[in-house]
Amino acid sequence: MQDKKGRMNGKYIVIVGCGRLGSYLANTLSQWGASVVIVDLHEESFKLLSPHFGGFRLTGDAVESGVMRQAKLDRADLLVAATHDDNVNLLVAQTALKVFKVPRVLARVYDPRNDDIYQELGIETICPITVAAELFLQAVTEGRLPGEER
Amino acid sequence: MTTTTVLVVDDEKNIRLTLTQALETLGVRVETAVNGEEALQKLEHSPYALMLLDLKMPGMNGLEVLRRMRELRAGVRVIIITAYGTIESAVEAMKLGAVDFIQKPFTPKEIRELVQTVLQRGELSADATDYSTVIELCKRSINEGDFTAALLAAHRAVSLEPSSAEAFNLLGALLEIDGKMDEAIRFYRTAVSLDESYAPAMANLERATTIGRDGAISLDGI
Repeated sequence: MQDKKGRMNGKYIVIVGCGRLGSYLANTLSQWGASVVIVDLHEESFKLLSPHFGGFRLTGDAVESGVMRQAKLDRADLLVAATHDDNVNLLVAQTALKVFKVPRVLARVYDPRNDDIYQELGIETICPITVAAELFLQAVTEGRLPGEER
Repeated sequence: MTTTTVLVVDDEKNIRLTLTQALETLGVRVETAVNGEEALQKLEHSPYALMLLDLKMPGMNGLEVLRRMRELRAGVRVIIITAYGTIESAVEAMKLGAVDFIQKPFTPKEIRELVQTVLQRGELSADATDYSTVIELCKRSINEGDFTAALLAAHRAVSLEPSSAEAFNLLGALLEIDGKMDEAIRFYRTAVSLDESYAPAMANLERATTIGRDGAISLDGI
């Protein structure tokens, strides 16, 4: 944990989407010492942030480049696209990479079939369904099935 | 800079925290105040090299703090913190010696760079001939309330770099402070024509050409 804190100190991170995932990441990265800006369309989404969240909240549509300029995306070390919409995540991630030249871009992708498109564009992705499926399969293969001897 | 003390004045805890964290790595001592009243109390009792001041606070707003601080203690440099999307049409703040702005959200790097620039401004040689130093000298004169020297420096900056929107905007603002509104508007126009994306000049031009021309800083997001 100390290592993570050291690495995050002074980093400037923009997170798009303040749902359960976005808010969790924002809370944690902010606790680790990063300077975090979280962007969401709806102000009430920020209720999910912990009272100890030490970053900035920005209400607006991340698809609009004006909003991203307000978030000073050109200065970001990392962008995380974590909205509920794959297409929005793709657009935001691509803009961050190509227009704002953000050195590292991570996007959540819901539909595993979209994964290839992201990869082709050079965007790192995390697909919660694939991750969960792999964990399930691991649990299944490592665990005992009925009829198997120990 | 080991003994330099900076005062951070903001009602939002996260801003105080972010600024403190960013500045401590510079080796400066950071103190905080949660509102204008507390800031003035601290300013009365301790010397500070620099104050980072939020304009929009409940109770006494930042401009009022600036006004009262000038009565109490001169020589404290000020960086004004502005809200998202607010444009620094800050002639009113400039009259009170504040010429540096930082817009939320800010990155630790830009805070450190601006604070260093403002703190090191005091050490600049007055006979510098390069554009960026002349701009800094102009800002230093504004910090010190010497508007005659600031106006001279702004004229020099414009002649050194005739394509700089910042220099024309600064010259316009100083002329506005000097009561020469028509000339000021001309320079704001030039600044905008040089760089249409230069928001401070756009804001100054819009304000100066709007009926009322009160020169007041906008405290609401534009």
